[in-house]
Amino acid sequence: MVAGDFPVLSILVLLPLVGSLAVFLLPRGRAGQARWIAAVFSLLSLVISVYLYAQVWSAPRPSSDDGYLTESSLEYQEEYEWVPALGISYSLGVDGISLPLVFLTALLSFLAILFSWNEGRRPKEFFGLMLVMEVGVVGVFMALDFFLFYIFWEVVLIPMYFLIGIWGGPRKEYAAIKFFIYTHVASVIMLLGIMGLYFQCRDVLGFGTFSMVEMAKVSPTLAPGFQYVAFAALFFGFAVKMPSVPFHTWLPDAHVEAPTAGSVLLAGLLLKMGGYGLVRVALPLLPEGARAAVPAMAVLGVASIVYGAFLCIAQNDLKKMVAYSSISHMGFVMLGASTLSPIGISAGVFQMFNHGLITAVLFMMCGMIHHSAGTREISRLGGLAQKLPVASAVFLTGSLASLGLPGLCSFISEFLVFFAAFVAHGAWMWIPVSAVVLTAAYYLWAAQRVLFGTFKVDLPEGEKGPLVDLQPHEAVALGVLIALIVFFGLFPSAVLGLSNPAAAAVAGLLGGAP
Amino acid sequence: MAASVSDVGQLLSDSRHLAPEMLLVIFAFIILAASFATRSRKVLGWLAIVPVLVSLFLVTGMMGLVDMSLIGLGPLAGPVDVALAGGALSIDLFSLMFKFVFLSVALMVVLSSLSFITGRDGHVGEYYALVLISTTGMMIVSSSNNLVPLFLGIEMAAISTYALVAFRKHEGKSVEAGMKYFIIGATSSAVLLYGMSILYGISGTLDIPQLSRRIGEAAWEPATVVGLSMVVAGFGFKMAAVPFHMWAPDVYEGAPTPVTVLLAAGSKKMAFAAAFKVFLVGLVAAKADFGLALAVVSVLTMTVGNVTALSQTSMKRMLAYSSIAQSGYILMALAVGTKTALAGGMLHVLTHAFMKGGAFVVVAAVAYLLSSEKLEDYKGLARRAPFLAFCMAVFLLSLAGIPPLAGFWSKFVLFSGAVEAGGWMVWLALAGVLNSALSLYYYAGVIKYMYVEEPPENAPPLEREPGPYVAAIFFAFLAVVLIGLYPQPFIDIAMRAAGILIH
Repeated sequence: MVAGDFPVLSILVLLPLVGSLAVFLLPRGRAGQARWIAAVFSLLSLVISVYLYAQVWSAPRPSSDDGYLTESSLEYQEEYEWVPALGISYSLGVDGISLPLVFLTALLSFLAILFSWNEGRRPKEFFGLMLVMEVGVVGVFMALDFFLFYIFWEVVLIPMYFLIGIWGGPRKEYAAIKFFIYTHVASVIMLLGIMGLYFQCRDVLGFGTFSMVEMAKVSPTLAPGFQYVAFAALFFGFAVKMPSVPFHTWLPDAHVEAPTAGSVLLAGLLLKMGGYGLVRVALPLLPEGARAAVPAMAVLGVASIVYGAFLCIAQNDLKKMVAYSSISHMGFVMLGASTLSPIGISAGVFQMFNHGLITAVLFMMCGMIHHSAGTREISRLGGLAQKLPVASAVFLTGSLASLGLPGLCSFISEFLVFFAAFVAHGAWMWIPVSAVVLTAAYYLWAAQRVLFGTFKVDLPEGEKGPLVDLQPHEAVALGVLIALIVFFGLFPSAVLGLSNPAAAAVAGLLGGAP
Repeated sequence: MAASVSDVGQLLSDSRHLAPEMLLVIFAFIILAASFATRSRKVLGWLAIVPVLVSLFLVTGMMGLVDMSLIGLGPLAGPVDVALAGGALSIDLFSLMFKFVFLSVALMVVLSSLSFITGRDGHVGEYYALVLISTTGMMIVSSSNNLVPLFLGIEMAAISTYALVAFRKHEGKSVEAGMKYFIIGATSSAVLLYGMSILYGISGTLDIPQLSRRIGEAAWEPATVVGLSMVVAGFGFKMAAVPFHMWAPDVYEGAPTPVTVLLAAGSKKMAFAAAFKVFLVGLVAAKADFGLALAVVSVLTMTVGNVTALSQTSMKRMLAYSSIAQSGYILMALAVGTKTALAGGMLHVLTHAFMKGGAFVVVAAVAYLLSSEKLEDYKGLARRAPFLAFCMAVFLLSLAGIPPLAGFWSKFVLFSGAVEAGGWMVWLALAGVLNSALSLYYYAGVIKYMYVEEPPENAPPLEREPGPYVAAIFFAFLAVVLIGLYPQPFIDIAMRAAGILIH
């Protein structure tokens, strides 16, 4: 257990918050400086998150005797009283499951800001909202108080609503409100589950508290009947966010209309909140409910993988295809969680991390192609590789990573999820495995049509884009992501080394297969 | 002679905890007198602001939030818990919390009236005097432990507001609203009074705590059922609960906007203060009987309010329907009737006063700038009047229950009260949260108009918002944000206040 001399985690929350205030308070005439402030603050967060990662990496890992969500399994805990009348505190802490995602958040926030360097429309609001989003997401990944968790969870909605609503595509208003209401309904159902948990734990503990650490001590012993209901409420909140079939319908709308940076954060970070909530909160706190939900989780996971892949094949809009592929890839996280095993859970976390990196590349490329060619409709494009060689190479690499090419990162996580799933669920796991063929099919088919063949941009003369290759700021953002995709493909233990012990502790609570 | 002087001194000292009410009444008469001497709207307005501010401070001290002994007001140091007039009035955290709400509302009302009232309006002195008197009436209700002062307080507030609603007598809408409000108000008062008289006939007492003992023995007698129903209907009208809500949107829309603040954030909350006392103390023995009925009314009220608000094109009407919905949430506290739920209800009364009051003042300020209350004219407001748009967005998000704003906490405590009670009340909580999500749709719609949409072509630049509006809005904004960030003192007081009514 590492305890810092200074509150590193609070600084990770406060840095983007201060940055966003600084951006919002800029006088109107100096809006051009917004991007610099945003970049500096998000870069500082990134540096601190790397420092945090390195510190925890070099410290001894908690053993499975330490349990999960206990004082000794958590690093850098901070706790301050907030509303003692209700047992609410401001408490943060990280462990092997949350730390990779904290790093991912800081990384993608910075790169998304970098990628949208030339955003000319209301830049102050744009960059300010990006930072507010970072506050919410990083807070979710570190909160140890259920109440704080919920607050950060909801804080994320507002910047996303505006990012879609103001900078989005033609149907932005519909998409923004659909995103807002759909996920808010899920959140409030989750909140009811949290309330129920609070009162049940209060009856056992003798005092009311929203501290996950305190609740985790007694919640596994609560009556199974209650655990089923509470798990269902939490699960609903998380499954909508991931999103899992059949709660996924908000996602394509939101993605198609969102600006590129919004899509990167939405797919790269917001979806991870759902998966994270499932493995870090719902499974360890309500093991009885989790065990009962195994069949449902497995079926929903497989359905998301397969159905998402089929949806992708049918898409003509490149961005929509990438959006649906997110549903498919997040299905792996659900499937991994359904095994209740250390490997499955840990691989699910790694899959979230990888998907964050890869989907960021793909969404950035969709935005770049849209800007450069004037459209992202697959049927109108062809032979882009001749005009945009660098961009095409990056897009192809991202596609290959996403379809699970060995040597790139998501191969490892998807393989491990399947491995765990075969052990836990048996032979019918050939169904999702075969979906991998579909994944390869839709990515390669899309790449073939868009990048290769004879060059064409089937648009009337006035609407064609400038056909310029990657700009330097885009190239830097994408280069970093590609480098990390290769790095974590070759050294998966850089994440798994942290997430394995934590996942083992979670699985230990669940008594699942090894 | 000396003895009588000391008697008066003793009386004043005994009733020192009524200082806020006395101050308001005294100043109401001073304003009336002053209005013969001066026609300055400013002077009369400040004569109203001063007593409200001082009373607000005294109440804050009596709640124990400010250390009174530091400024030589030790005898008023809180938290206060005293009974006056032979137990007919009690000044405790429950009543003080409501007084805090009423005075805060009054502050917003008088501040925004400073700008709202123009040279065309006559009778400025009467206007401010009526505001102070109706506030006093509300404060008396929250202190009443007896049906007589309770009813007198209700009437004191109601009769003043009848005149206030029709204050702009050259505007047809205002007069129509006043007429409607008067007829509905008078009828509902009659119904309420008749119900109370039946309860008195059954129990032989007007004392609210005593009532519960007598009613308990006669819970299912036809006369009790009739009396109870009439009391429910009477309060239902006052708090604009479905199906007694028809008057509210018309009256809220027609009334001068500062008076709308007083109605929506103040006098409606008075009905809740009275209902909490009458139902949760006086009729607690019959709770099992009225609990389910009130739960149905609560769900109906929030749903009808929210669904109707969805399709409104006038900001004021939309906020009026949203007010109805919010009454539905607070009614949950009555239906559930546990300590946590009551604390949540009281908190929601508090936060709703600030967020809804603030929102109405923004509407008034926008109407001042744009001469319009139409939703459509809020297009691009963020560019034209950034302060108003931002505060409005915060109020609306708070109304929708988005954390970490004040409205979130009160809804949270309220709904968790229902979850805590378990059984069928969990469904009440579910209805509440789903309604909250539904309401987000129209609140976000306003935010969309203000922030996402561009201002109309060649819209003229707006002049600055008048200072008093800014002050009133900023006051509400600060309350919403500060309670949101640090709700501990108010949650604590609400819990303790609820403990006074429910043991």
